Amino acid sequence: MSDWLKPASVVALVALILLAPSIQDRLAEESTRYIEDNESSHHGLPAEWDEQQVLCIYFPSDSPHSEFNLGVTMIGSDGEEIGTNEDLNRTGACVGGFEGYSNGLDFMMNSTRMANGHLSVGYEVGQWGAFVHTIGGLNPETLTGDFNGAYWHLDHNGASSMVGIGDLVMSEGDVIEWSIGTW
Amino acid sequence: MLSIIVFSLIRSERSLRDQSQWGMLILLAIFGVSGRILMEPIPNVQPVTVLVILTGAYFGAPRAIALAAIVALASNVIFMGHGPWTIFQAIGWGAIGICGALLSDKLVVNEKLRLNRLALMAAASGIAFNWFVSLSILLDTGFSMLVPYLLNGLVFDLYHAFGNILFVAWMATPLGEIMSRHRSSQSLESVRDGVAN
Repeated sequence: MSDWLKPASVVALVALILLAPSIQDRLAEESTRYIEDNESSHHGLPAEWDEQQVLCIYFPSDSPHSEFNLGVTMIGSDGEEIGTNEDLNRTGACVGGFEGYSNGLDFMMNSTRMANGHLSVGYEVGQWGAFVHTIGGLNPETLTGDFNGAYWHLDHNGASSMVGIGDLVMSEGDVIEWSIGTW
Repeated sequence: MLSIIVFSLIRSERSLRDQSQWGMLILLAIFGVSGRILMEPIPNVQPVTVLVILTGAYFGAPRAIALAAIVALASNVIFMGHGPWTIFQAIGWGAIGICGALLSDKLVVNEKLRLNRLALMAAASGIAFNWFVSLSILLDTGFSMLVPYLLNGLVFDLYHAFGNILFVAWMATPLGEIMSRHRSSQSLESVRDGVAN
C-alpha cells in the first residue's frame, strides 16, 4: 500500500495545485447561483439601468468625497452625469448602464474611469488576489473612530461578496457596491 | 526547514525517557505549530490533522484534545491570525482526535499502522474539519451564505484532504513507531500497577 501511496500522494497534490485556479473559477461562477439576487439592489438607481450592470461607491459621513458629498451622484456609462439621488441617506456615486462584463475587477476599473478620475481605484495583488486599498482617494487605513480597523467592503447584489473583486463573476443586471466596513 | 525540524525532533525524542508521554506531546505540538506555519504558502496543507489522529490513536482522546487546543491557539496567536475561528479549529481538531482514539483498534492493528485506513480517515476528517470551521461565518452572516461559502471553499477542502494523504504516506509510519515506543511504556505501567494492586 505505502509503496504507491507515497508517489501517488505527491502527484495528486501537485495536480491539485496546478488545477486549483481553474477549479476555483468554476466554483466561484457556480456559487453565484446560490446567492439570492436581492431585487432591491437596483432600488434608488435610475430606471434605465434596470437589467444593466452598476457600480456604486459610498463614502462614510465623516470622510465624505470632495465631489460626491451631496446624495448619490448617478453617472452613465458614457461619463455623463444623469442626476443625484438625495433620498438614499448616504453619499457617493454610482456608475451604471453597462452590459457584458463577467470579471469584477475589469468592470470596476472600466466603470470608475467614467467618473473623470474622481473614483480612481488603488489595489494590489497579493497571495489572495486583488486587494482594493483606495477608492476615490480614500484609504480606510487613515480612518479613525470607535473600531479596530476599517476596510473597503464589497457587496454583490445587496449581499456581502463571498470572493474578492478579482474573483467575482458577474452576470447581467448585477450591482456591485463598495462601502466602508469596520471590525 | 521542515525536515530539519523533523530531524531535531526525532533526535530529541530519542533522549526522552520512555515514560515521558507529555514530553512527547510537547515535541508533537512544536512539530504541529512549526509545520503549520512553514506550510502556510500552500493553503490547508499542514501536518496537524494527521498528528492529532495519530495522537488520538496512540495516546487516547484527552492528550489528542490537549494537542489540538495547544496547536490551534499557539499557531494562530504566533502567526496565522487569531479570531473566533480559533475555537472552531480547536474543537474540530479535538473531535478528530476523539475519532482517532475511538478508531484506534482499526487504525493500529498488531502494533502496525493500517496506512490505507488512516489515509481514508485523514482525507475525510480534513473535509469535515473545514466544513465545521466554516460554520464560524454564521457568527457574522446569515445561513443563506453558508452554501456559496462552502462551495467557494471546496478547493481548499481538497487541499486539506490531499495534504493529509501526503502526510500519512510520508510521515505516519515513522511517527507511529515513535509514538508506539511511548505507548508501550504506558501499557507496561498499567501492567505494573495491576501487579502492585
